[in-house]
Amino acid sequence: MKVSQNWLKQYINFKFTPEQFTEKLSMLGLEVESSEDLSKKYDKFVVGEVLERAKHPNADRLSVCKVNIGGTVQEVVCGAPNVAAGQKVAVALVGAVIPHNQHGDEGKSFILEHAKIRGVESHGMMCSEQELGLGKDASGILVLDAAAKAGTPLAKYLGQTDTIYEIGITPNRSDCLSHIGVAREIGVLVNKKMKHPKVILKESRTPASKFAKIEILDKEKCPRYSARVLRNIKIGPSPKWLQDILSSVGVRPINNVVDVTNYVLMETGHPLHAFDYDKLAEHKIVIKAARDGEKFVTLDGKERTLTSETLMICDAERPIAVAGVMGGANTEISDTTTNILIESAYFHPQNIRRTSKYLGLSTEASYRFERGADMNITVTAANRAAQLIQELAGGDLLKGVLDAYPKKRKPIVVKARVSRINSIIGTSLSKMQIISLLKKIDLVVKSSSRDELLVTVPSFRNDILEEIDVIEEVARVYGYNNIETKTHAAIDFSSNVRTDALQDEVREFLIGSGFNEILAIGLQDEATMSLAGKPLVKALNPVSAEMAALRTSLVTSALGIVKHNRNHGTKDLRLFELGNIHLRIDGKASNSLEAYQEEERLLLVISGNHAPVSYGNASRVVDVLDMKGEVSALLSKFCLDNYRFIYYDTHEALSEPCIGIEINGTYAGFFGKIRKQIADKLDIDEAVFVCEMNIRALRDGWVRDRKFSPLPKFPGVTRDLAFTVDATLPQNKVEDVIRQVGRPLCTNVVLFDTYSGQQTGKDKKSVAYALEFQSPDHTLAEEEIDHALAKIIEAVQRQCNGVLRS
Amino acid sequence: MLEKVVHTKQAFTEELQKAATLQDLEQTRIKYLARSGEIAALFEGMKSAAPAEKPALGKTLNELRQYAQAQFDEKKLLLEQSAKPKEVPFDLTLPGRSKPIGTKHPVTQVMEEIKRIFRSMGFSVENGPEIESDYYNFEALNFAPDHPARDMQDTIFIADKILLRTHTSPVQIRVMEKQKPPVRAIMPGWAYRNEAVSARSLVAFHQIEGLYVDEGVTFSELKGTLVAFAKQFYGSSIKYRFRPSFFPFTEPSAEMDITCYLCNGKGCRICKHSGWLEVLGSGMVHPHVFQAVGYDAEKYTGYAFGMGIERTALLRYGIDDIRILYENDVRFLKQF
Repeated sequence: MKVSQNWLKQYINFKFTPEQFTEKLSMLGLEVESSEDLSKKYDKFVVGEVLERAKHPNADRLSVCKVNIGGTVQEVVCGAPNVAAGQKVAVALVGAVIPHNQHGDEGKSFILEHAKIRGVESHGMMCSEQELGLGKDASGILVLDAAAKAGTPLAKYLGQTDTIYEIGITPNRSDCLSHIGVAREIGVLVNKKMKHPKVILKESRTPASKFAKIEILDKEKCPRYSARVLRNIKIGPSPKWLQDILSSVGVRPINNVVDVTNYVLMETGHPLHAFDYDKLAEHKIVIKAARDGEKFVTLDGKERTLTSETLMICDAERPIAVAGVMGGANTEISDTTTNILIESAYFHPQNIRRTSKYLGLSTEASYRFERGADMNITVTAANRAAQLIQELAGGDLLKGVLDAYPKKRKPIVVKARVSRINSIIGTSLSKMQIISLLKKIDLVVKSSSRDELLVTVPSFRNDILEEIDVIEEVARVYGYNNIETKTHAAIDFSSNVRTDALQDEVREFLIGSGFNEILAIGLQDEATMSLAGKPLVKALNPVSAEMAALRTSLVTSALGIVKHNRNHGTKDLRLFELGNIHLRIDGKASNSLEAYQEEERLLLVISGNHAPVSYGNASRVVDVLDMKGEVSALLSKFCLDNYRFIYYDTHEALSEPCIGIEINGTYAGFFGKIRKQIADKLDIDEAVFVCEMNIRALRDGWVRDRKFSPLPKFPGVTRDLAFTVDATLPQNKVEDVIRQVGRPLCTNVVLFDTYSGQQTGKDKKSVAYALEFQSPDHTLAEEEIDHALAKIIEAVQRQCNGVLRS
Repeated sequence: MLEKVVHTKQAFTEELQKAATLQDLEQTRIKYLARSGEIAALFEGMKSAAPAEKPALGKTLNELRQYAQAQFDEKKLLLEQSAKPKEVPFDLTLPGRSKPIGTKHPVTQVMEEIKRIFRSMGFSVENGPEIESDYYNFEALNFAPDHPARDMQDTIFIADKILLRTHTSPVQIRVMEKQKPPVRAIMPGWAYRNEAVSARSLVAFHQIEGLYVDEGVTFSELKGTLVAFAKQFYGSSIKYRFRPSFFPFTEPSAEMDITCYLCNGKGCRICKHSGWLEVLGSGMVHPHVFQAVGYDAEKYTGYAFGMGIERTALLRYGIDDIRILYENDVRFLKQF
């Protein structure tokens, strides 16, 4: 909300610099977001006195003037026909920002520079009304009041001395949505009470009650409706001061009546509406609900469809306004209006909020009503408007206020305990201190017992309903910065087990392995995600099609990231992500949380070259064994050997080939290569290898307690064995046989070579293993090793049809 | 006798200096150091010396022999080296063999640091789901139906009353439902808002929520804890202020500002010329929230706070467009 400093000063006297104003109000909870010093607009503009006018030596239409700009006399070249010696004029000096360029560039502003005009130096510029942005007259320079003093800053001469502040008002503080409201808060800062404007009415003898009737049919949604009637007024433009002050706080001037209602709104915070009295059927106001489907044209010319929830202001025949939101076109004030009815009502916040939301229409009025207006000031606001309209538009103010107020509002009294106030804030304020703090913000306190206070809340503070609200006010007025910063917090140590320890360790491990961590937003487009082949959890109101549903796999979003990086020249990728995916559980109602399962996952991605191009590193494109190596390293680190890979029976929509991962017998995820069709669809023309694992499975399999095994005391012996087997036989069959049969002396088996070619024949391949033999209790004898080897060779031959190569 | 020793030492030194080849050097060795060399001859001569002079003389001769041997060894090494054929020296400026370098996402780094600080103060880390019910996200947090506070948060819905959490605050409710006081926890995670994506805002972002409930917890202690955090995180010299604000689930509520560390409080573009940066929202847990989780609001008091991580990361690393955080461009990631 915009507030004008000059306007505020009508109600409270204060002397703050913009910095002080910003700081002090912010510290009171009214956050000042920006300030604008209007006089800055006419920085480097002064009042000048034309001393002499001479013809320009080189141009017929120009004149060269000697201008007193206060102390010094400068030569200024001028093209205006009306310039004459003795005039007081507005002079822009070098560096001034001329608001309007009347000679071109679509009237944009420009900075005045030193100029030689047809050979004569000009040290400034005399401005027209249009150039100053004060009006449309561009026929000649603006001639100022003869009494103006040369050298006076133009802003001062024009009265443009205001500062405008933008204040962010939190939703609970509807009482501050006006100049009076802000002035009240400033009163707290300067320790004075703000002064309300004096309202003196000149009423005619004719009672208003003879001219109009008010009937409230829905007392719930409209507890109070006040009105005044004015006759024989003259609609016209508002005086300049009113137009200026409204414009300065962002309200567009319309005509004197509408401008007054807006002025009172900005002054008191209470929304008003003026009807053309003569257009009200039977001069009657009825407040009731609309009919479902009823159509109504609002002031902005739009036709709105109403519901039975919408509260309407009607005359005897038809609706004339959407209550608290916007008036109707049918009773709008026009240039020919002579009689008016001013509405000043109170509407129930919730209803206005619903209506405003339903109609998609938010106005200054609805904004205030839905946050809560002040039921007690309807008459004051109507009177204030009546007074100003009479001053500006003449006419007769009919005697008396029409005030339908069926059930008078009772003041709210809140109980608050001194002990509780101190125990929440951490202070030791006395009862008297608290009472005087509350008094500053018009909370009247009666002490009922030693500890208890009875706090009567003024009608404008609809946010104070219970003890904690009073406590907040005490803290606020006392000053948050005056509350002690207690540095000896009562620490009780958390005994909770760390839930994110695994993730931290996995992250460190992967960084050590050269992976870059990525983080992706959990929402993605449906088409890409459907590639994962799982039912989606979709947003009812997605922000955009690109973010229509939640991820069911970390892979789909990572593919977009792979593509982005490839498009930007980074093709060698090693990425990981720890993130959540969401699955839709079949058979559960969509409005139950049980229908959605959140799972934390780990993703690895590799693509491109296996290592950066560098000296001494041969370039090599990664393949599935690189990914297998990374996955094995990670699993061995965290789960020791409690995992296994499932090679041929794992099927995932995204990956082919696809190798399953089991930890302690539970499926934990997969790794493999992104299917060609999917990569093609996403325009990725290089193999991408991924691994996606369930964090919970990894955590369950995490062996955190390590036990020491004694180091072998006796030396080990290494022997190599190579077998020729069928080319189609997976090597792990041979390896498994060696491991099983070799026990317990053979302690390790490593495949170090495979070969298929001339020596083996096309249908065969050679697999070569390095075997390590060791005993915990003695140095192995040659015969023991030979015996073990013979057993292994025999078993491989029998079980794998493998022939030992010599 | 002593004269002789001095003379021999001098002669040896001169000859050794003159020796230009290993052969020359060998000649010198034979002349002086060999079994029949001049130094040996001097030892032989000692036998005829007076018994009283013998110890001193012996010492001098031993020193001469040691001196000669050391000088000889040094010279030999020198000549041997210069006699070797010249090898091409290894080019030490060749680059080291490189391997891929891993990095943590900047958002993770900020998150980890914040977690570390609060852990050191005795806070545990708790989690809650991203898909939430209206109850946990709004109702239990004292958001009245139709309350204008909901204007602040436009929400992405999944189904009727099922939504993507708009803040991490619902985890407060879940933690308190699960656990009796004292509760001292931080709750990090993703939150979502139905907002247009721009350089300043994203649809999804990280928050860290904090909660401390016990007997006798005060606003004063809230200040103490958050100031201690801010000094560790932003630097011990920062200035701070607490400003009254409004959140439905805390009262009194406060925003914490710190002096803008880019301009030292002088005012710049980043702090919108105010000299202050808003770093977190906080307040005393509202009694209605305690009622919702079945805590005795008369017995227990508590404070809660929350902060956005992305904004913190932008400030810390001098990033001016939030969108780059989740483009995951490796050229970006490798800078952290």
